[in-house]
Amino acid sequence: MDMPDSRLFLGETQSVCPECLKTIPARRFAEGDTVFLEKVCPDHGRFSAPVWRGLSSYLLWAEARRAEARPLLTATEVKDGCPHDCGLCPGHRQQSCCVLLEVTSRCDIACPVCFANAGRHGRDASLEEISGWLDTLAAAGGPVHIQLSGGEPTTRDDLADIVRLVRAKGFGFVQVNTNGLRIARDPNYLQGLVEAGLDCIFLQFDGVDDGVYRALRGVPLMKMKARAIANCREAGVGVVLVPTLVPGVNSRQIGAIVDFAIDNMPAVRAVHFQPVSYFGRVPHEPTDEMRITLPEVMEALVDYSKGSIGIPDFNPGSAENPFCSFSGRFFVAADRTLSADGEAPASCCGVPAGAGEDTAVAPAHQESKCCGGHTATEGSCCDANTHERKGECCGGEEQRKSGGETCCKESVEHENEPRHASCCGSAKASADVARAQRYVSGQWTRPSPSAGPSDGLEAFDAFLARRERRALGLSGMAFQDAWTLDIERLRQCHIHVVSPDNRVIPFCAFNLTDRNGRSLYRPSGG
Amino acid sequence: MTTPNDPTVSDLVCARCDVPLEMGKVNASYLGQVFPVDLPRCPSCGFVYVSEELAYGRMLNVEQALEDK
Repeated sequence: MDMPDSRLFLGETQSVCPECLKTIPARRFAEGDTVFLEKVCPDHGRFSAPVWRGLSSYLLWAEARRAEARPLLTATEVKDGCPHDCGLCPGHRQQSCCVLLEVTSRCDIACPVCFANAGRHGRDASLEEISGWLDTLAAAGGPVHIQLSGGEPTTRDDLADIVRLVRAKGFGFVQVNTNGLRIARDPNYLQGLVEAGLDCIFLQFDGVDDGVYRALRGVPLMKMKARAIANCREAGVGVVLVPTLVPGVNSRQIGAIVDFAIDNMPAVRAVHFQPVSYFGRVPHEPTDEMRITLPEVMEALVDYSKGSIGIPDFNPGSAENPFCSFSGRFFVAADRTLSADGEAPASCCGVPAGAGEDTAVAPAHQESKCCGGHTATEGSCCDANTHERKGECCGGEEQRKSGGETCCKESVEHENEPRHASCCGSAKASADVARAQRYVSGQWTRPSPSAGPSDGLEAFDAFLARRERRALGLSGMAFQDAWTLDIERLRQCHIHVVSPDNRVIPFCAFNLTDRNGRSLYRPSGG
Repeated sequence: MTTPNDPTVSDLVCARCDVPLEMGKVNASYLGQVFPVDLPRCPSCGFVYVSEELAYGRMLNVEQALEDK
């Protein structure tokens, strides 16, 4: 690779041309402390965008295990290559974790920044259509989380019926992605959602003053956000604050947003930062200064904590590509000090098949086995050579670490294989995705009232109560646009959208538009 | 801690030592965390009994919380 001396070459991948969306080679390189994605379209020239500002954390994230698993069911063939064959296609490398259902294209505000390009006039999906989408997901075999999105889903009077439908079809976790206006004005509407089975309000929350909302949403909304959260507290439903971070608008409010979250715990369960991406309704081609990257968000959180937490306390994405996200769960002391929970990250055993089974504890009624058990003595039951994911296609720790070879020498070898097939036999549900789902549902759902005292087991109860009431999730996810799209990341995407024609499409592909607003997948054309 | 289907402590006998189990303090540890809890244990060899309800209930919740990223 020919690189100027000042650049550090970090790898090759593919991307798209922001002008024509044609798939083209791309490379990652660092210049100074910033990692860029650069590509050259033979027809439209060179494009470059910063994707990670912080080389040390980039190298740390690069060491993270790459979780990959074949989709349990594919609907399209590989024809034109990623990202043009989504459905999912056999080339995809992760199963669905959370799936968005865009139940309406209507919205009750007209934000200058909107990836969905929603407006006041639009169309609601019928209950029959939504039922069909859910059947598609159920047939795909995964117990996915559902996010009801739009447009603004609360413009629908029958949203509780949709929540009920999701629950009736056996989906275990459902959240509503909302600007909060309706649930602020109408607590009975919110109560209806909760009674129908809603777990979480995924609340657009860009900052703590009206200046931010005027800039990003066109209207002052702070009082309505506070009222929406108060109503959620009353209704007993968890809230995740979701700021879209835009440099120069609200990127300096990261600490203030966390302060607000702490003030509203335990109803507020987490803050999930989303650096702005440029798709949908974007008036101008983004410059480097118009982007904020995940490590900058982490650094702002570390600064906010005055050093009580550090970058190593955050984890890379564990089911998706590591560079797509960070997450951490932090305990908030009475004096508001943040601390890492001090609990070891998932390392051994992943999702236990059972519980309480261990050679040292040895319950009389169960066969001993490693993984998933406590020990009554020091040390872990798990031996480094015993991993339940061993043998999983492309997903086991043994098979693929950063840049390492998998059981499949080249991912492209999969692309013409029959549906439902795996390189290593039948595709199976991803333990990584299941664990990510459990983490989200555990942290983002409002805890139920504490159980009564239990003789002798107070240590377990105290641990669980502390997590439920004093733990705040701090996470971020970087969506990719036509300038930043790294197809290696896209292939591992586990946040998907069901398109109106029943295809399951990775979120960043679904929302991808060229610089003129042309969409690959969104029906309205972006 | 027990349910109608669980045996009482006095019903439990250590298969290895053939002595009745007794309630005692046990340090249950997992992924670096230690939980001092009271569980039936063999006074002779230290063998600990964990009921199915506990194993699939609070103990599983604690384990999963520790395992989550």
